[in-house]
Amino acid sequence: MAAAQLDLAAAKQPERARLSRADRALYFMWGMFWVLMLAVGVQDYLRNGGKHLWQPILWETSSLAVATFWIVLQRRAGRRYASFIDRPLVWIGMHSKWLPLVLLTFVPVVFAIRHGVYALLGATYNHEPWAEVWIYESIKLMVFYGLWMGLIFAFDAFAETQEQRQRLLALQKSLAEAQLAHLKAQLRPHFFFNVLNTISALMHVDVPRADRLLSRLADLLRATLQWGDKELTSLREEMRMLELYAQIMQERFADRVTLKWNIDSSALGGAIPALLLQPLLENAFKHGVERSRDAVRIEVEARRDGERLHIAIRNSGSVLGPERQEGVGLRNCRERLSVLYGDAAQLQLTQLPDAVEASVTLPWQEHRA
Amino acid sequence: MMRVLVADDEAPARGKLQRWLSEQPDIEVVAEAEDGLRAAEAIERLKPEVVFLDIQMPGLSGLEVAAQLEQETAPLIVFVTAFDEHAIKAFELNAIDYLLKPYDKDRLLKTLSRIRGRPADGSARAAVATARAQTQSHDRLLVPVGETLQLIDSSTVEWLEASDNYVHVHTTSRSYLLRRTLQDLLEQLGDKQFARIHKSAAVNIAAVKAFTPLFKGDYEVQLRNGKMLRLSRRFKDQLFGRMGR
Repeated sequence: MAAAQLDLAAAKQPERARLSRADRALYFMWGMFWVLMLAVGVQDYLRNGGKHLWQPILWETSSLAVATFWIVLQRRAGRRYASFIDRPLVWIGMHSKWLPLVLLTFVPVVFAIRHGVYALLGATYNHEPWAEVWIYESIKLMVFYGLWMGLIFAFDAFAETQEQRQRLLALQKSLAEAQLAHLKAQLRPHFFFNVLNTISALMHVDVPRADRLLSRLADLLRATLQWGDKELTSLREEMRMLELYAQIMQERFADRVTLKWNIDSSALGGAIPALLLQPLLENAFKHGVERSRDAVRIEVEARRDGERLHIAIRNSGSVLGPERQEGVGLRNCRERLSVLYGDAAQLQLTQLPDAVEASVTLPWQEHRA
Repeated sequence: MMRVLVADDEAPARGKLQRWLSEQPDIEVVAEAEDGLRAAEAIERLKPEVVFLDIQMPGLSGLEVAAQLEQETAPLIVFVTAFDEHAIKAFELNAIDYLLKPYDKDRLLKTLSRIRGRPADGSARAAVATARAQTQSHDRLLVPVGETLQLIDSSTVEWLEASDNYVHVHTTSRSYLLRRTLQDLLEQLGDKQFARIHKSAAVNIAAVKAFTPLFKGDYEVQLRNGKMLRLSRRFKDQLFGRMGR
């Protein structure tokens, strides 16, 4: 099954992939239908003693050409109804709106083609009286219209289910990856052993401080382990985690880093992917503080701007290289944002005059616990 | 009295080591350094016998500091690290002293007693060689500029000139005087980029413009900056072989 081996690339462009696959299958069936209709028409003509084979071919082809026009139009313009696919009656209603126009134009166009070709070949096209033709063709057309609408609905609905399944799988996969990356990051041996060493050093000179650092580390570990399968959290909770991490790092590098929190309280109730920001703050410490001899300034900023939530983490003391490679943490943030919000969320790294900024912009959404 | 230098970028970590070392009657902590460059400067200035070098430091890592030392005169090095799988493997392999954070007092005392029993020969040499193998030490060279040290890109070096226990490092813009042997410097820089042309000189192969034969199989080497140097018979074949002549 294709869904089992999907990758994130496929999930990122579900729209295009889904339509082209369903389209291809539908057009193939349409072609088969065309061949069948043609064969029936020709057979019928021969059995009635017809002698000019081009005549039944012209009749069928002219009808099918006009019908093909409508089918292609449905595939192209029908996308606007795609969102109604989970409400079949509405979907069918939307498509049935077009039936009168199809019925009204079908016979004139088809018969105009037939008369035109006959005239070009110097023959005369004799057929039943117009009223009879109109009724007969309209009934036939309605039957086929219904049949094909059903088929198209079935195809699109199936494709939609597939896509939702892929989306879900991609979401689960990226969540699992984020979880793993986060666990690794928290248990990142460097971080962990260094903090333990700091505690071991502090407890000889400042027991309360060592104790405090130890409980911070325990809090951070506990929060990490409790994270579980909760995808969204509130900005308030996310900021608490960031503070825990920052406090630990400040104990280690007290003389080399100053932190500034600029959090708009109206933004605290917003929903945000859990632990999304931690890798960004880790990078600020890793690239700013741990690699710079000078004192580094880290700023964390969050604010709500109408229907958007903006978060920025800035650090001085480092510059973005021209050919930098994004680490696992950053890549993972991007993937989670893309799976959860599509194009509606952005993560950007920017070189400011005296700092590097990582900024995240999300659609605003109230967090419900 | 054993004179010791402690280098770590975390103040609490330095404090812990300093405290325990100071309790030892035969140890004197002569300085603390909070990053790689200051550690290298302190080693150069104070000539400690033992250095506790944290690996993860800003600017210049502990391994990079060690890689820039002269093997013959390097102090005994104890690397200190929280977690560096590759380095630790190399330390094990070459019997280099190291401490894993966090360590307790017993572990430190064990290391100290091992250092006290160290013969003053191969172990410092092995630590420098291992550090060089673990880093890109041939790309960068630590040179004195006034009272401080500075890293330069080794590709800017045109030629090296030995005199006694010193080496003049001539770059495109200026010259530096290093208290190291030419032999050791060439070992650090590697033989891909530099070649000995004389008992007391070596060139950056990229800086060579032409060779002119002299008498008795000696040659004259012309550098791109116009400088003329002597290529002795002893090093001729080796150099020509490498340059594909």
